Amino acid sequence: MKNYIDFVADASWNTLKGLWVTLKFLFLPSITVQYPTEKIVPYPRFRGMLAYDAELCIACGMCVRACPSRCIALAKAAPPPAPPPAADGQPAAPAVKAGPKIEWYTIDYGRCNFCGLCEESCPTKPKAVWHSLDYEAVFSTREEMVRRWKRGDGPWGTVKRSADAQPSAISDQIHIQDMPVRK
Amino acid sequence: MTNHAPPAGLRSDQMFINFGPQHPSTHGVLRIALTVEGEVVVKGDPDIGYLHRGMEKLFEARTYSQGLMLTDRFDYISAMHNNLGYCLAVERLAGIQAPLRAQYLRVLVAELNRIASHLVFFGTFAVDMGAFTPFLYAFREREMIMDLFEELCGGRLLYTYMRFGGVSADLPAGWAGKCTEFLNFFEPRLKEYDTLLSGNPIFKSRTEGVGVISAERAVSWGLSGPILRASGVNYDVRKNDPYCVYDKLDFKAVVLQNGSCWDRYYCRMLEMGESLKISRQCLAALASAELTPGEIVAKGVPKMFKAAPGQAYAHVEASRGDLGFYAVSDGGMNPFRMHVRGPSFINVAILQEMLGGCKIADVVAILGSLDIVLGEVDR
Ligand code: SF4
Ligand code: SF4
Repeated sequence: MKNYIDFVADASWNTLKGLWVTLKFLFLPSITVQYPTEKIVPYPRFRGMLAYDAELCIACGMCVRACPSRCIALAKAAPPPAPPPAADGQPAAPAVKAGPKIEWYTIDYGRCNFCGLCEESCPTKPKAVWHSLDYEAVFSTREEMVRRWKRGDGPWGTVKRSADAQPSAISDQIHIQDMPVRK
Repeated sequence: MTNHAPPAGLRSDQMFINFGPQHPSTHGVLRIALTVEGEVVVKGDPDIGYLHRGMEKLFEARTYSQGLMLTDRFDYISAMHNNLGYCLAVERLAGIQAPLRAQYLRVLVAELNRIASHLVFFGTFAVDMGAFTPFLYAFREREMIMDLFEELCGGRLLYTYMRFGGVSADLPAGWAGKCTEFLNFFEPRLKEYDTLLSGNPIFKSRTEGVGVISAERAVSWGLSGPILRASGVNYDVRKNDPYCVYDKLDFKAVVLQNGSCWDRYYCRMLEMGESLKISRQCLAALASAELTPGEIVAKGVPKMFKAAPGQAYAHVEASRGDLGFYAVSDGGMNPFRMHVRGPSFINVAILQEMLGGCKIADVVAILGSLDIVLGEVDR
């Protein structure tokens, strides 16, 4: 009996001590984020959805070889027609300004691991394929997951480049860096 | 592999229960085939394989550098250790040595990841034992570590941070300061956890003396990590076979004696304190003059990597024990064979011996205290 009472007393005392710990946090600001009304902007190195810029791409295929899941496929554009041979005494005609060096380029987001190996291997500066800060991606069919760029299309998307991405000043967004408890 | 049908010879006063695969306390897809008699477990057989992805085979179809991303997905709670073990094995195969700064960075992130991983254990084990609050606190702290990792390498859970001969990125500006701030914040939290849970008599009576593994049994089942050390066996890869810069750092392997669920729990709590110490030493070393700025990747490691024919084994002390990678090369672009010694896989095997004779409520305590990750068990 004595043991039992001791145990109950001990347990209650320790429970009270535990409650004191929780009480200390009760009046501190909340650390949770109310997604989707508040959104966190990730750090610049964050590996979000891939973005691609056909103007920069030199169609070298390094990203295709680096990818562990074969997400990326591409086709080189046919080389621009050679300028007409220079006539005697005339300077050679300036080379026709070539368009994108790429015919089409696809990324299969359904297979992507967000590992960053393609971005790392891309030789252009700035990178032609890179991880944006975009982490919200919704697809309703498998076909949608394969994103394709082909000659004549506009830019790949509207996402910001991560290298110089200053988090845009959207007022309802919290920046992870500004969260007091998230230092 | 256990049979899915109830065992033959089940007596009419016994009952066959499938514990899992969809059970919140198995932390993944583990099925335990339990035969119970009233409240006493007669026999329990872990049944694994629900998360099998054929990872070891997948390595053979990928180049060495592509294989790195697979290692993240073994023990996804502490992916840095997997990265590290794999890189060490391949580096040994190819005879590459990472520069000193990279080694300190590796140890630093590995120890931070150990804290994060033990925090997950602390939170989920508490929930298993009926205490919900510690879970919230543990995940609050873990979130800070994940933020640090996100700023460092871009991944929050699956890091792909290491590279052969080094790491992929140096510390961003201000990162070391944030990390120190976190460590300062975290140190007093450990005492709080003790108040919340470790010393709580209700928690203790559910875990102390439950699921005792003797040192002898622990060794003969090949256990490793905190489970082994809680049984009084002093074996820690960081001490016994030091890799990276662990031999230069001052820390001790935590060893407890009784081998019960509570010891396994408390061993991890003490280990977090040790990891904290190691992290501080690494930060100090990284800030020192001779390592800043330093190389973070060894020179001359080609992108398209080919290892000479041969074999190599490297192991690290991951959060859950002795994680080993055995790489065999035939000189090609891809590994000829990659074998992984996953600590969770080996640790889970002892369940079949431990469960017989215990109460059904203790099954959760025992399973929780083993702290397995099913991604590593099944691979
Ligand atoms: S992030 Fe990784 S998986 Fe995704 S496309 Fe790039 S290399 Fe492939
Ligand atoms: S590596 Fe870069 S430049 Fe080369 S094909 Fe891929 S995106 Fe284009």
